[in-house]
Amino acid sequence: MAPNFQAKRRFSWLRLVLLALAVLGGLISGYLTWTHFAGLTPVCTGSGEGCQTVQSSRYASLLGIPVALLGLLAYGGLIFSTALWRETGIYLGFLISLVGTLFSAYLTYLELFVIGALCQWCLASAAIMVAALICATLATLPLLRRR
Amino acid sequence: MEKNSALRSPRTLLALLVTVAIVVAALLVVLSQFGGGGGGSSEDVGEFYAGIAQDGTTLGEEDAPVTMYLYEDFQCPFCGQFDREMFPDVVDDYVRDGEVKVVSETMAFLGPDSVTAARAAFAAGEQNRYWPYHTLLFENQGEENSGYVTDDFLRGLAEDTPGLDVHKWEDERAGNSFTQELGTVQAKAQAAGVNSTPTLIVKGPGGQVKIDVLKDYGQITSAIDKVNGS
Repeated sequence: MAPNFQAKRRFSWLRLVLLALAVLGGLISGYLTWTHFAGLTPVCTGSGEGCQTVQSSRYASLLGIPVALLGLLAYGGLIFSTALWRETGIYLGFLISLVGTLFSAYLTYLELFVIGALCQWCLASAAIMVAALICATLATLPLLRRR
Repeated sequence: MEKNSALRSPRTLLALLVTVAIVVAALLVVLSQFGGGGGGSSEDVGEFYAGIAQDGTTLGEEDAPVTMYLYEDFQCPFCGQFDREMFPDVVDDYVRDGEVKVVSETMAFLGPDSVTAARAAFAAGEQNRYWPYHTLLFENQGEENSGYVTDDFLRGLAEDTPGLDVHKWEDERAGNSFTQELGTVQAKAQAAGVNSTPTLIVKGPGGQVKIDVLKDYGQITSAIDKVNGS
């Protein structure tokens, strides 16, 4: 009985951390989506121009949909997955955070080597997505041991 | 029992999820390369403007009932965003069929590079190639006042502008500083109370609408409908 109890404890911990990460990521991408539609410049530390350059670059939208909005949807999906939890929710969380991490890696590559400007909000979101993937992977592992 | 259903095996399911994730991410990357659906690279620019009347800084039929005055600066990031994301739709929906003509009003107020870029575009306008040059300037926009507007940069865009005689363009640029044109825009902007870019002023038989905070394409559509009396 004891190992079972332990596994459950770890599950709920991961669930809570993942939820916190998703809410934080949702706030960031929500803010960027809002500035996009309101035509505002996101508040950016340092020179302050990096965020604007990235947000107004041709890569900031995908078929007319702002990338920030895609991020918002992804974090919304992650929150939903923590609400479902159990098997379906955990697998959904893993899928979303893996797609999110792969796409964030590509976006970070664009910022560094193509656009030549960094946006701190975008980097923060990428880091949160990686952390979410780690949580989701840790939550997925116990499921693999089952037969 | 589990052998019968592959999805029952967590490992198979996980492999499937990883595959799906990679495919979805790859799809997003491919879509992202298409950009904001703008006029596109130099090859597409000629195709995009093909068949549309151009006269200096005016795009579209002379007798179009509605005129859209587009106050902009070649270095302004939001002007670039507008040009890449919404302007192609304006052209496709309204300019091609002769309903609207667009007049570019280049304000050039963000810095000396804005003036240099505006002069280069005016020089292209002397050959009625202002608009493709305009699009290329925005497609290749760099960071504001970072010094990206060099002679080489401008010449490169001129070479990429379909139908532009680059030698004539060079002569025009050397011989004319377009001070009068820039002054006229400045005076018009002042008279119309334009103090930020991009600002759109849409005029037609039904009156005029000024859009100084452009949020979505719907604002343009309704402004055109309103001044067109529909």
